[in-house]
Amino acid sequence: MRVSTSWIQQQSVGSMMNRQSDLSDLNTQLSTGKRINQPSDDPVGAARALDMSHLIADAAQYQRNITSANARLGLEEQTLANSGNVLQRVRTLLLQAANGSQTDGSRSDIAAELSQLRGQLLGQANSTDGQGEYIFAGNRTGTQPFVSGDSVSYLGDDGQRMVAAGPGLQVATGDAGSAVFMDIPTGNGTFAVSAAAANTGSMVAGASSVADPLANPSAWDGGAYSIVFTAADAYEVRDAGGAVLDSGSYDPAKGGSVTFRGAQVAFSGTPDAGDTFALGASGKQDVFTTLDNIIKTLRTPNGGDAAMQNALNTQFANLDQALDSITRTRGMIGARMNALDQQGALNDDLTLQYKTSLSDVQDLNYYDAISQLGAQTTALQAAQQTFTKIQGSKLFDYLR
Amino acid sequence: MADMLSTGVSGLLASQIGLSTVSHNVANVNTDGYSRQVVSFGARLPEGQAGYYVGTGVNTVAVQRAYSEFLNSSLWSASSGQGRASTMASLTSQLNNQLAGSSNLQTSLDSFYGAVQDMANAPSDAASRQVLLARAGGLATTFRALSGQFSQLSGQIQQQVRDTVDAINVDTQSIAKLNEKIRSFSSTDGMPPADLLDQRDALVKKLAGEVGISVVPQNDNTISVFAGNGQALVTGTEAHALGTAPNVYDATRVEVVGAGGGNVISGRIGGGALGALLDFRSNVLDPAQIQLGRAAQALASAFNAQHAQGVDLHGDVGGQFFAAAGPSVQGASTNTGSGTVSASITDIGALPAKEYVLSFDGTAWSMRDTSGNPVALAGSGTSADPFTAAGLSLVVGGGASAGDSFRVQPSRDAAASFAVSIDQPDKIAAAAPFVVAAGAGNTGTATARASIADGSDPALFNASSIVFSSPTTYSIDGGPAQTFTPGQPIVHNGWSMQLDGAPQAGDSFGIKPNSNAQGDNANALMLGKVADLGVLDGGVTSTGRAYSQLVGQVGSAGALAKDELTTQTAVYNQALGAQQSVSGVNLDEEAANLVRYQQAYQASAQVISTANSIFNALLGAVRS
Repeated sequence: MRVSTSWIQQQSVGSMMNRQSDLSDLNTQLSTGKRINQPSDDPVGAARALDMSHLIADAAQYQRNITSANARLGLEEQTLANSGNVLQRVRTLLLQAANGSQTDGSRSDIAAELSQLRGQLLGQANSTDGQGEYIFAGNRTGTQPFVSGDSVSYLGDDGQRMVAAGPGLQVATGDAGSAVFMDIPTGNGTFAVSAAAANTGSMVAGASSVADPLANPSAWDGGAYSIVFTAADAYEVRDAGGAVLDSGSYDPAKGGSVTFRGAQVAFSGTPDAGDTFALGASGKQDVFTTLDNIIKTLRTPNGGDAAMQNALNTQFANLDQALDSITRTRGMIGARMNALDQQGALNDDLTLQYKTSLSDVQDLNYYDAISQLGAQTTALQAAQQTFTKIQGSKLFDYLR
Repeated sequence: MADMLSTGVSGLLASQIGLSTVSHNVANVNTDGYSRQVVSFGARLPEGQAGYYVGTGVNTVAVQRAYSEFLNSSLWSASSGQGRASTMASLTSQLNNQLAGSSNLQTSLDSFYGAVQDMANAPSDAASRQVLLARAGGLATTFRALSGQFSQLSGQIQQQVRDTVDAINVDTQSIAKLNEKIRSFSSTDGMPPADLLDQRDALVKKLAGEVGISVVPQNDNTISVFAGNGQALVTGTEAHALGTAPNVYDATRVEVVGAGGGNVISGRIGGGALGALLDFRSNVLDPAQIQLGRAAQALASAFNAQHAQGVDLHGDVGGQFFAAAGPSVQGASTNTGSGTVSASITDIGALPAKEYVLSFDGTAWSMRDTSGNPVALAGSGTSADPFTAAGLSLVVGGGASAGDSFRVQPSRDAAASFAVSIDQPDKIAAAAPFVVAAGAGNTGTATARASIADGSDPALFNASSIVFSSPTTYSIDGGPAQTFTPGQPIVHNGWSMQLDGAPQAGDSFGIKPNSNAQGDNANALMLGKVADLGVLDGGVTSTGRAYSQLVGQVGSAGALAKDELTTQTAVYNQALGAQQSVSGVNLDEEAANLVRYQQAYQASAQVISTANSIFNALLGAVRS
């Protein structure tokens, strides 16, 4: 077949151009390290790479969220630890104060220290984070939550801030002050015992408990009852209507406990006939009221009698509930931080996986690309040499 | 005896013509469209003697171009395909470059939603709110920048369409003129000069690269040229100029019209650069603009809806966060009536990536998409009962005449107009609007949550309490007893309360404004979830996904155009190679021919010289 001279030239030039364009593409790929430099390089891959980058950005944001949540929870945990220490100190002082060897004066000194501790606790409850937000104000983070007047009132709300820690996982990053410091059950958490003000004997109600709630969960029905001592060694349990439900004997010398409907109350001392102890379902009492009550009781002159012991015992139970509330909250914080750590590790794993996928989709295989670079360079040189060879051999050259 | 001298001279002349033709071929070795010329010789009629004939030399019969009509028309059609493919490749590559550039919408979306989450982590922090607004601004800029790049490309295409039409008109003029010359040569000399035919063929090839054509040769050696759809461009010696005219719905959009301001033929031009320009515009760029607009509308609608479910730092219901234009409606410039059409989006999830034409036939309205498929209209078109179709609501005003039509572009302008409506950081609605509390003594299993049903209700933030007197009866704030249907929300004062579980008689639920809750991030968390919320296509496609679809679409168009270019270039090269193998000049061949004619010339000269010697010898014999 005959071939035209200019066609040979065009073709040689064309093939050199093609090689150079391939080399330029390879150059772009090698210098960016990416296989896809334009969506048209691999339309499906380009769309997939976008989705992958979105997932990676998402996971990175979740990690940021977790970091910020951990900081918030850490601060809360620290504050609660301090509050716990304050309450522990209160407990120690209360045990001291309950000792019969105390005098009005020494009790008053203890009350003074307790009053300091109450101030400390109030300060803890009104703690702010680095941005000046009140930690325990629920969602009203700009409002000082605990305001002390005659009693402490709570101006925050019950809101709990959440953080998105992963796809579909939200973790609370705080606890409302109402739950931690305010809504604390009284007594043993199920019922509370209080001595009637008119009691004249030396009888003191001690620890109370719900007997084996699992074995007989419906035994304690949450009603209001009273234990009335009809004599120093006999008692009756009456319901709210005054009907006698149960009766028994009591040994003033040894002390003992009264058990009925799953409730158990320990007594010591000698009652006078007619002394009454009321049992009612637990109410709510904030920790500051508990402290105020203790302080008020300790400052009552001529104390040390059974009335004071009873009052202190009642508040002692309430104090333990407050301590319990703080411990429980700290436990929940620990659980949340655990969940965040786990989600963080999961996010890391996912990020790695997404990055691997993204790399598979868009990153260049250097071995491939470099060997291609070699092949293309050789091809270009071959095209150039062929061109010079072909252009160099013309019949006209021999016609001189 | 035969005239040896004259025979020699005939050889001499023939060789000269051969040499001239070789020189002409060599001289035109690099002339585009040149066909190599070939001399054909024939022996002269012999002189008859008694019983035998003596030859009398050579005649030059013709100088013809080496030409194959079949190969040439293959080349023209390949040129058409190649012109189309290379224009398409360059346009799609431009669009791909734009999407590969810095204005990556996905990155902007990610950093925007990242800022939403950061704000959720510190909702009362002014800095985090400020950053969110800045990121929102960045996102809006990206939308507008991408849309701007698309519009710029669209403007560039308008200009290229006009330029290409001009170039086509110049070429058809030249072809018509060459037709005239060729015809006049044909009538006088019988055969038109090869070089004129070559010139015309080269022009036809160039024209084929500009627009898909068919060529019909005529008896008088002229050719007629038609554009792909049958529109005559050249008939005999007359050229028919194509024109450009503004689109009937959009004066800024150029359409190609037939000669003499005839019909719009934009949609019927297949090959060549012009075909590629029009095809790219309607099949790649328009869909890309629509898809980008849809992404903008999806983002604005979903984010605004969630934003209106929260309250800002002042306790006010969240206002519009993003603004994106809704549908635009353009009446045709040919409309004679005074009718109007207004359109709005009612259901973004049902909105396809299409545009529509609504037309009035004198009695009824009908709608078609731009591909011509009819779309059923529900409703009557009044503002009380608008037409609804494809997620759109259309209200037509009276006064339309028969034949009037309106184009509805649901998403075209959305990305270009995308903006952030909020400029105060404290206007970002991060908090939940209500605090809903179940009564302390509730015995039922019901839990309640409330959302805003009508943010403009003046009593929205009045505290209320709902008391159930039986599991299916409740009253609000001591009002009349109402029936409660499980699963149905209780709507009052602009809020809507959803109960999960079963309430019991005596249960109560209180709802009050979430006041002073600057630390509440409930709505901010919900705003963060909008990132992956399906909005489009019946609620399956998120904004980010819509963008990656756009990238996929544009990428496919680019990849297709690249492949097409490779294929068409190969086809073109093959056609050109085949045509050149017949018509192209080969210098080696010409060198050989040069030697051949030179030797023939020398030989003929030798014949004359010999004749001379013979004659001299004869004279000498007579003289002595």
